[in-house]
Amino acid sequence: MSKSKFLYVTYIRTTAEKVWDALTNKELMKTYWFNMHQESNWTAGSSWEMKDSKGEVWDSGKILESQPPHKLVISWQHQHHEVTRAEGFSRMTYLIETAGPMVKLTVAHESDVENSDLIAKVSGGWPMVLSSLKSLLETGEALPRA
Amino acid sequence: MARLTTESTIYVTYIATTPEKCWEAITTSAFTKLYFFGRTVESDWNVGGEIAYRSTDGNTDVQGKILECDPPHFLRFTWHVEMIPELSHLPDSIVSYRIERAGEGVVRFTMIEEHPAPLDERLLEGGRSGWPLILSGLKSVLETGKMFKADPPGPPPAMLEYFKELRK
Repeated sequence: MSKSKFLYVTYIRTTAEKVWDALTNKELMKTYWFNMHQESNWTAGSSWEMKDSKGEVWDSGKILESQPPHKLVISWQHQHHEVTRAEGFSRMTYLIETAGPMVKLTVAHESDVENSDLIAKVSGGWPMVLSSLKSLLETGEALPRA
Repeated sequence: MARLTTESTIYVTYIATTPEKCWEAITTSAFTKLYFFGRTVESDWNVGGEIAYRSTDGNTDVQGKILECDPPHFLRFTWHVEMIPELSHLPDSIVSYRIERAGEGVVRFTMIEEHPAPLDERLLEGGRSGWPLILSGLKSVLETGKMFKADPPGPPPAMLEYFKELRK
């Protein structure tokens, strides 16, 4: 059992394929991830990086599990702040399930570090990113940057 | 052995709307019907006054008292579940909705479900499965103007297990 955990569920009026595409498409990501994007070829074992618009790496790791369009697991280490980097790898899971005319997207981000700084930080960020993703898929427009 | 908890459930969502529109969406039946499984909401919105969520057949599903009301930013009220007979003996929970501006044309909506009196932790699963669906609907209705049609999720497995123990 992980010691720190963030769990979030959102329902989106779209298809599982469109959610998968939005979560793995670099250009789409830039619109709803507030100018951050990720690079990977999204297959199990491949590397994964989160970069800002200048190309600086904020987080990196690798794909642990990839089952398009339903499940993706990433081992995720923060790189930008030393204290957070020292926590080592966390584990982030996307679960994409069809729920009638909607998709139930579950994001679980877990760490074996007690009172993890990374989990505290992402707990503030995930609701913003996932709200913006939902807006993009349902209305065609992501949320404006605060 | 049942574990008791006073843990809260928190859900945050960002919505492309104004605080005033968002307030209207949580306090008027014309809106709640579109995302709260068809339920209406009734209250005079005065501190100490009653609040009730009613189902389409007129039954009271949830009943409470307004503790704080500061339109269009904050609402806090007691929450007593009437719709599930097995839960009607439980002490009141407290639910609050906070609406804050988060940039141009965006609000941050925060729902907190508190449990001042300890309760069986399996019962938290009810809110934890229901709120994401209800509040995803609130966001969709405000952003698209269209009804968010979803069936109530029904009691989650942990809660069913609790009911079974109650009947023993």
